[in-house]
Amino acid sequence: MKVEKSFSVYKLIQYIVCILLAILSIMPFYIMIVNATRTTYEIQQHAISLVPSGAFFNNMKILTGKSFNPLIGFRNSMIISCGATAFAVYFSSLTAYALVVYKWKLRDGFFTFILAVMMIPAQVVSIGFYQFMYQIHMTNNFLALILPSIAAPAMVFFMRQFMIPALPIDIINSARIDGAREFYTFNKIVIPIMKPAIATQAIFSFVQSWNNLFLPLILLTDKNKYTMPIMVSLLKGDIYKTEYGAIYCGLLLTVLPLFIVYFLLSKYIIAGVALGGVKE
Amino acid sequence: MNKKKVSYAKYGYIFSVPFVIAFILFTLYPLVFTIFLGFTDMKGLGSTLATAHVQEDLFANFKQILGTGTFRTALSNTIGIWIANFIPQIFLALLLAAWFTKTKPVKGQGIFKVIFYMPNIITAATVAILFGALFGYPMGPMNDLFKTLGIIKEPYFFMQNKTWARGVVAFIQFWQWYGYTMIILISGILGINPELFEAAEIDGASDFKKFWSITIPNIRTVLIYMLVNSLIGGLQMFDIPNLLVTKSGPNNATLTASVFIYNQAFSGSYMYNRASAASMIMFILISICSAIIFFLMRDKYEVAEKKAIKKAEKAMKKAAKGGAKA
Amino acid sequence: MKRKLLSSLLATAMVASLLVGCGNAAPAGDAPAADAPAAVSDDAAPAAPADGDNVINLWSFTDEIPGMVDKFLEANPDFGYTVNTTIIATTDGAYQPALDQALAAGGAEAPDIYAAEAAFVLKYAQGDASGFAAAYEDLGIDVAGGLSSADIAQYTVDIGTRPSDGKLVALGYQATGGAFIYRRSIAKDTFGTDDPTEIANIIGAGSGSWDKFFEAAETLKGKGYGIISGDGDLWHAVENSSDAGWIVDGKLTIDPKREAFLDLSKQLKDNGYHNDTQDWQDAWFADMKGEGPKGIFGFFGPAWLINYTLAPNCGGEAVGEGTYGDWAVCAPPIGFFWGGTWVLANKDTTKAEAVGKIIEWITLNSTEDGLQYKWANGTLNGEGGTKDCVASGTVMSKSNGELEFLGGQNMFDAFVPANAYANGKNLTQYDETINQYWRDAVREYTSGNLTRDEAIAAFKQNVGDNLDVVVE
Repeated sequence: MKVEKSFSVYKLIQYIVCILLAILSIMPFYIMIVNATRTTYEIQQHAISLVPSGAFFNNMKILTGKSFNPLIGFRNSMIISCGATAFAVYFSSLTAYALVVYKWKLRDGFFTFILAVMMIPAQVVSIGFYQFMYQIHMTNNFLALILPSIAAPAMVFFMRQFMIPALPIDIINSARIDGAREFYTFNKIVIPIMKPAIATQAIFSFVQSWNNLFLPLILLTDKNKYTMPIMVSLLKGDIYKTEYGAIYCGLLLTVLPLFIVYFLLSKYIIAGVALGGVKE
Repeated sequence: MNKKKVSYAKYGYIFSVPFVIAFILFTLYPLVFTIFLGFTDMKGLGSTLATAHVQEDLFANFKQILGTGTFRTALSNTIGIWIANFIPQIFLALLLAAWFTKTKPVKGQGIFKVIFYMPNIITAATVAILFGALFGYPMGPMNDLFKTLGIIKEPYFFMQNKTWARGVVAFIQFWQWYGYTMIILISGILGINPELFEAAEIDGASDFKKFWSITIPNIRTVLIYMLVNSLIGGLQMFDIPNLLVTKSGPNNATLTASVFIYNQAFSGSYMYNRASAASMIMFILISICSAIIFFLMRDKYEVAEKKAIKKAEKAMKKAAKGGAKA
Repeated sequence: MKRKLLSSLLATAMVASLLVGCGNAAPAGDAPAADAPAAVSDDAAPAAPADGDNVINLWSFTDEIPGMVDKFLEANPDFGYTVNTTIIATTDGAYQPALDQALAAGGAEAPDIYAAEAAFVLKYAQGDASGFAAAYEDLGIDVAGGLSSADIAQYTVDIGTRPSDGKLVALGYQATGGAFIYRRSIAKDTFGTDDPTEIANIIGAGSGSWDKFFEAAETLKGKGYGIISGDGDLWHAVENSSDAGWIVDGKLTIDPKREAFLDLSKQLKDNGYHNDTQDWQDAWFADMKGEGPKGIFGFFGPAWLINYTLAPNCGGEAVGEGTYGDWAVCAPPIGFFWGGTWVLANKDTTKAEAVGKIIEWITLNSTEDGLQYKWANGTLNGEGGTKDCVASGTVMSKSNGELEFLGGQNMFDAFVPANAYANGKNLTQYDETINQYWRDAVREYTSGNLTRDEAIAAFKQNVGDNLDVVVE
């Protein structure tokens, strides 16, 4: 009875809001796909259109003709993004584990320290970072883009919040009683428990790493090391003549793998991750 | 007494080592470099620390930055844009999170959740191009729409109006991040003991009452995380303000602190020293704001934490005893 | 105990990293820095030999120059060097920091040849980074002979000459002197003629003043046309015709002619002489096709604007379609240039002679085998390519610039004299940034958000706060 009554207006509003927001979210992707099928001329005349045109294959031809090799870009981006994401989630979990499970003298200080690290503005550290990488000849080396993700303070914070309630200390204790070593316990027992949190953070981290442009752009100068976003930005490099149609094709190719990764992991977003956990 | 207790404390250190090493190499070193630069006269292309000197007046760069009107404009813009984006964002995200975690949630909520995060996937450069075109002048979809609706007769130059320009930047931030915020908040709500809700239901509490007196207090930690994270992200807002309007116009209306810092270093004069001083000022500001947030939201969170610690201690002792027995 | 140990460890690490920092920053590039790359280099350069003996490193921001060099290598199979290309887009300002680092670091991976765009060439040819550039004469190039036999446009030489020693360090292959490119049909409708010499007269070509141009604008307005698309079209001409650059003796200077742009722009807007578009935006492109609110008479620009921008946006590909064939070129009221790419060499290159050969072929060779002849006639990549103006007058005089797009007019007739009006002496290395602040201030004034004085004050504050320039 009550349910039926409350359905009418309230539910309707919910659906209207959700559908409107969904349209707002999908629109740019739609425009991107449509623009990938339009000629540069059409795009320059009207940057936004809802009606597709027929120039997709021509755009692709221009794209692949312009020293744009999607396969190489895809491979490089994959190595960097997968590497950075794997390192970030694994070591953040490990650090969070150290913060939650063990009691050590510097623990609280270390946690405060991680919070402080979160607050360091990114832009100017990148000046120092770049000069450092150049001095130790790490340019054109993917490790320069992968290794720094080991220290991801915001992710440690998230993992810690997930772990505090979700990790039953009894399980760890019983593992210890069984004679398991600490590192083994972490890998075999803790990581599987962390799976939902890891998947959620992996999405965020992967997206960020995949879309990163500025640092790769100045660190990777060998064209066999270019990532997808660098290749797309190169299409714009010729300031006198910009092939917008081809750029949108490039953008589309860039975002496709993100979609795949996102939808593969999206079941964890649909199911949701319980942060804060059940406290008895 | 503790002779037989196995100490696991060393693992706390061992497991933190990778983080610390990576941090020292890739963040601390560049950071110390940056801090140091703030006290030197290092500027100009190809300048290195070797040729730089510490300023006679140690805080000369800091004084200079604080004295420039542009920096103050950048700071107030940053804060204004952040507030304009964060308040609606957190409200919408809370609302959606509440809808999606009810016992009888909106149908298709899974798909909605997935879709709402999607704006975050596109690169900022693409978003800036699309929105720039949307508000194009004298021709553009927004102008067409407003004309059709009869709101304006002549084409309107949205991006030449400070309020519009700032509003669009704030809207883009809001639109790109509300899905993310929602996902995190849902995580927080899912972690609440369902018994609490069941008890409230038996008492006949309304949806709103339940949300206000059970959900909100119980996701305090997650809210802190959200707030701090958004504050940091917001104060470091860079891509959109840098790309949407040339030189963050009109008349610096969309200039943010990060863009200001970037301009100091890269827009021609390579004033690394002033850029470093400006980022140190930012760092201090962010730290103060975060400290305030932690302070305002501390109480219950800390109590809960202390409980957890005590429990863990007990468990450890038990385990140690058990270990000794075995 | 433990705490002490850790804190002292941390302290040591910090000090050590600081020391490492200082050590690495030292110019000498001591031993440790040199050892480090070993682990990296195996997979860094799979094709190129590590010793770099016969590898020329080429840095550019588009694939234009690399494409030329490929053709050079094709034509000279016995050249004996391979070219290792690095392309970094100017997007997000990434090209310059990377190039600066690479030049400063030196070594085998340093660029031997590098390209600079008009917006920042001053920095590399005359400004902060000019010390890295090799004088052309040190590359075995006969500078004086080459310049006179090729008849290179003077302004490109001015820009490429390093003031500290008066030596030539950079040259371009394009000539980007600008002209006025107008619609024939609108000219006939308004002035009764579409003849370039008469239109030139009507807009006051070469008069050095904008008076006649604004008179023409008034006439066009009577017929319902705008003379230009937006004030950005006028700016390039104004910028280049001023007597002083933005910076004189380290101080911000607003040349009276540039200050007058405030009034010109206001006049254009208040009188409705244009469609109030911004360059490179949708509405600007639409005006090329004649689809803006009112028909637009013309655009200011160099030859590349015709081929890269106007032609693709005219709404057709043959006479009669869109505005194709409805265009003509005449001299502008005030000479100017816009854009262009300059080629430089590293002073530390170990392959000076080979580098010199490539550069000479691009910039000074005025024969039919040289780059510029192929570039001007659109034959570099086979017949029918895009024609463009080149720096060498010798080449221009024997090249054919007839375009159907211009109704059969030979565009070189208008652009060759235009190159002589162009002035390379009022540029500064901060122009790109300062121009953006200036244009923003002008827009604020014309849209009525700021008064004239406020706009100038806002401009001065921006320059003073963001650049290392004295503002009074």
